[in-house]
Amino acid sequence: MDGPVWLTGIFAALMLTVAVYCAGRLAVTRRWRRPTELDTDAGHVLMGAAMAGMLVARLRVLPAATWEAVFAVGAAWFAWQLLKSRRRAPATWRCLHPAPHLLECGAMLYMFLVLPPLTGPAAASGIAGMGASATGSRYSFLALVMGLFMVGYVARTADRLPSGRIADRLPGARTANRLPGGPVAQSNLPARPYLAPRCAALCKIAMGLTMTYMLVLTL
Amino acid sequence: MSQSLAVRDPVGRPAAAHEPVAALDPRRMLQLALGALWLLDGMLQFQPAMFGKGFPQMLAGSAPGNPALVARPISWSAAFIGHHVVVLNAIFAAIQLLLGLGIAWRPTVRLALAGSVLWSLAVWWLGEGLGGVLAGTASPVDGAPGAVVLYGLLAVLLWPADRDPADRAPADRAPADRAPADRAPADREPAAPFVAARAVGRRIAQASWLAVWLGLAVLALLPASRAIGRAIADTTPGEPAWLAWIDTHAASALTRHGLLAAIVLAAAFVIVALGTFLPRRPARAAIILAVVVAAVLWLAQGLGGILTGSATDPNTGPLLALLALAFWPLSAPARSAGET
Repeated sequence: MDGPVWLTGIFAALMLTVAVYCAGRLAVTRRWRRPTELDTDAGHVLMGAAMAGMLVARLRVLPAATWEAVFAVGAAWFAWQLLKSRRRAPATWRCLHPAPHLLECGAMLYMFLVLPPLTGPAAASGIAGMGASATGSRYSFLALVMGLFMVGYVARTADRLPSGRIADRLPGARTANRLPGGPVAQSNLPARPYLAPRCAALCKIAMGLTMTYMLVLTL
Repeated sequence: MSQSLAVRDPVGRPAAAHEPVAALDPRRMLQLALGALWLLDGMLQFQPAMFGKGFPQMLAGSAPGNPALVARPISWSAAFIGHHVVVLNAIFAAIQLLLGLGIAWRPTVRLALAGSVLWSLAVWWLGEGLGGVLAGTASPVDGAPGAVVLYGLLAVLLWPADRDPADRAPADRAPADRAPADRAPADREPAAPFVAARAVGRRIAQASWLAVWLGLAVLALLPASRAIGRAIADTTPGEPAWLAWIDTHAASALTRHGLLAAIVLAAAFVIVALGTFLPRRPARAAIILAVVVAAVLWLAQGLGGILTGSATDPNTGPLLALLALAFWPLSAPARSAGET
């Protein structure tokens, strides 16, 4: 049973919007000297493009094997960041929380691996017109676990949306703050405000919801 | 009235450079879990199968056996949805997504929780036929009393208000409500023994807990529930092989011992129901039992049918577990960073 074409089109348009917006963030961050999580934004550009292509066949720009390699590298990157973050604070331009992005890369790999080859008339309708392969059915519990993680991540991101703590917590140029009557304390506040933290959070929410939708389609 | 949330919106005050993000308080964590379940519901509603004839047929299937006053609106709404299934299903899914995001985003948590109550009551009637309770077909293994009514109950129990001022975060309390200076915060018992009691009070919370779990115990002993094996076997079509293997073997084992299984299940429900009246340590054991029973139910329900591609919600298992966590006996409050 195929879902409505307009529904996958909406999700694809949302992903393209996120990809274009995050590409814009990468373009202006240096010019405006406003820090951002470069690896997160780059990941969102790639994921947005890949997910749009999975949802609507006409938007595919790269073969599946290429995307698999891209997200395997992405997963390795965020896994390394996760390990490093346990020892010291991340650098200015790296994401604060690599775990959700690691899982996003893993989910992308999963979806590319379990879906049947994107060829033939059935492929033209995108992911909504396909069922998971036999292998995917065997590992569909993984999709459920990842989907549950994603909705939890979306909820937590939305919880923090109005607080502005996303800006507070982004590590930036180290500045020395002298606490009243106390020693000098190192601060990880950026010298300049974080680039549009609420929009960045909205991108994460949109990405998380769309990814959950796609994981549900693979069940 | 303050929301008594540990992580407050700091728009009105600048955050210190060294100030870490405060931990979520238990009620907020449970609210976020509820919001996440609504988001999952919304995404399940977007599945391709929900845009076809199967969805209104499933809704219409909950009408038989109910009194006419209950059944006629169900049949009418199912027919109406059948004529406009694509648009209406998309609206239903969007509503559930908005409820989830509304609960997760603090400025709209009250509006979303109120909406959850209204939506869950409407769906419980028109979508689940009141869980089959009046039709005599309700069985805990089948999802009685209906997952959606538990959403509404949780929305009430997790309402962001505190019946007793002592339960509010210290910064939210009026000076007259703060603990005496000679009594250390660690020695002060929480006025609400568990999260669910914060908004509605202990008695109402315990009454709701009793209603749910004693109700499940009664349903477990009804004739419709004694065919536990058949109920579990009915969940296997469309499941992945590993889950179908578990459910098939469980079904065949329970088919021979249906009455015994029903009695054991009912006994477990009764023990859980009485748990909140016990001292803290045995109460915690009862809550753990509740979570285990919920997990077993969820397995018997085939994980709500989520892995078959035709589930509209995760069924009662996860919601009963979340409800149990709302009744976890609270310890004396720990000293927070902001307390003096």
